[in-house]
Amino acid sequence: MSYIIPIGPYHPALEEPVHARLYTEGEVIRDAEVFVGYNHRGIEKLATERNAIQTLVLVERVCGICSHSHAFTYALCVEELNGVEVPKRGEYIRVITAELERLHSHFLWLGIACHIIGHDSMFMHIWDERELVMDILEELTGNRVNYAMCTVGGARRDVSDDLRRRILEACDKLKAPLDRITEIALTDKTIAMRTKNVGVLTREDALKLGAVGPHARASGVDIDVRRDAPYSAYGDFEFDVPVVESGDVFARVVVRALECYESIKIIRQALENLPEGPINLGAKLTKIKAGQTVKRHEAPRGQLSYMLVGDNSFNNYRISIHVPSYKNTPTVPHMLRGNTVADAGLIIASIDPCFSCLDR
Amino acid sequence: MQEYKRIDISRDDVLPLAERMKKEGRFLVMIHGMINKEGQPDVSWDYAVDPVVESYHVVGETSFPSIGAVYAEAATWPERELNELFGFSFEGLDTSKRLFLPEDMLETQGRGQIMVTPLKELVEKNVGEVNP
Repeated sequence: MSYIIPIGPYHPALEEPVHARLYTEGEVIRDAEVFVGYNHRGIEKLATERNAIQTLVLVERVCGICSHSHAFTYALCVEELNGVEVPKRGEYIRVITAELERLHSHFLWLGIACHIIGHDSMFMHIWDERELVMDILEELTGNRVNYAMCTVGGARRDVSDDLRRRILEACDKLKAPLDRITEIALTDKTIAMRTKNVGVLTREDALKLGAVGPHARASGVDIDVRRDAPYSAYGDFEFDVPVVESGDVFARVVVRALECYESIKIIRQALENLPEGPINLGAKLTKIKAGQTVKRHEAPRGQLSYMLVGDNSFNNYRISIHVPSYKNTPTVPHMLRGNTVADAGLIIASIDPCFSCLDR
Repeated sequence: MQEYKRIDISRDDVLPLAERMKKEGRFLVMIHGMINKEGQPDVSWDYAVDPVVESYHVVGETSFPSIGAVYAEAATWPERELNELFGFSFEGLDTSKRLFLPEDMLETQGRGQIMVTPLKELVEKNVGEVNP
């Protein structure tokens, strides 16, 4: 029997509104479509009525998980157009915040993935460890979300020696639970049975469809903006880019778990080599010079791009925001085909979608 | 470090350029669109030639060849977005289903620009209503 199963846009299993339509033959999904746009808030239009400092506040509201990534990328655009050189210490603090954000985002997703497959003890364990990262973020920025850490020309809050020592201690503390989580993820039978060979995205499809971030790296595509097109202070740090070939949900779990180690590695290097000096260029509001630029940042979910057009006024002439979920969501129908309806929720969630980001 | 390079092309160059970029293994960063300061449509195809973003602009046109056959959904999603939100058309692009707009907007209002009330006008209007 053939059925069309609609999921969403508002559904108890969805954290955010999105509409998926599954075309099934019995339990097997033959085809699928995804429809977005339910979270559209007109952020790009609103930005044309705001100056650079107001825009930082606005773009942080694009997403609650990767808010720093948005402010960071927007600030990079303004600095590029205005020819501003950011103090090194400010760059390092931005990178530390970005990597802490990646850590909490990956922990969050790993927990949700476990919850979806019914492994709730693992879900609670991971989210318990995530609290350590959230505590550091709160201490560093004053907030658990929307960190307001970035400004045009640097960072807004400094890292004291005492805080630096405590973040390094927290990195040490994270090592053991992360080892344990990775070991369970790699060896647990429940996780393996629910994720191996499920929702496969081949390398060819990932390349063809333009997948980004951990989602692409789980399909054997070796891309990472931090390494391929360094920006801010990323060129100063050594880190590896984990790539897994199998392209299934299991690979996405593994890649994200391994990326947590790399983020800790970057945070440690940044803290140990934190340069002396100012953290920003002061709070003076500047006009955005005429011109156009595109800046890319490796957000937790993948490549985030901002286009900014300035016209020598205080407000943005135009900004255009394209998030990793914009690139990864079109891969979902391809991953759903041939899988069962029972796995649909997990497969959709496996790209770590953020529809709030996507619709902006 | 990242760089941005603007290159102006004609609409006839769009498809051959996409084919060349694909052959070279370049990543399509995004297709952007806007109405520029001079009131002209300005659409750009941005490719990652790491660490440079090469941005190929076509100015003054509203119809373009679709590069969906080359870059699949990586191209057709931004093309559909530009079609719905700016009214730009892409030859060969399937626009039978909506991407961002509500279903009924395509049926009853046609495609193209959604008229957005400028914030200033909206504030003035609301202030007027509250304090007539």
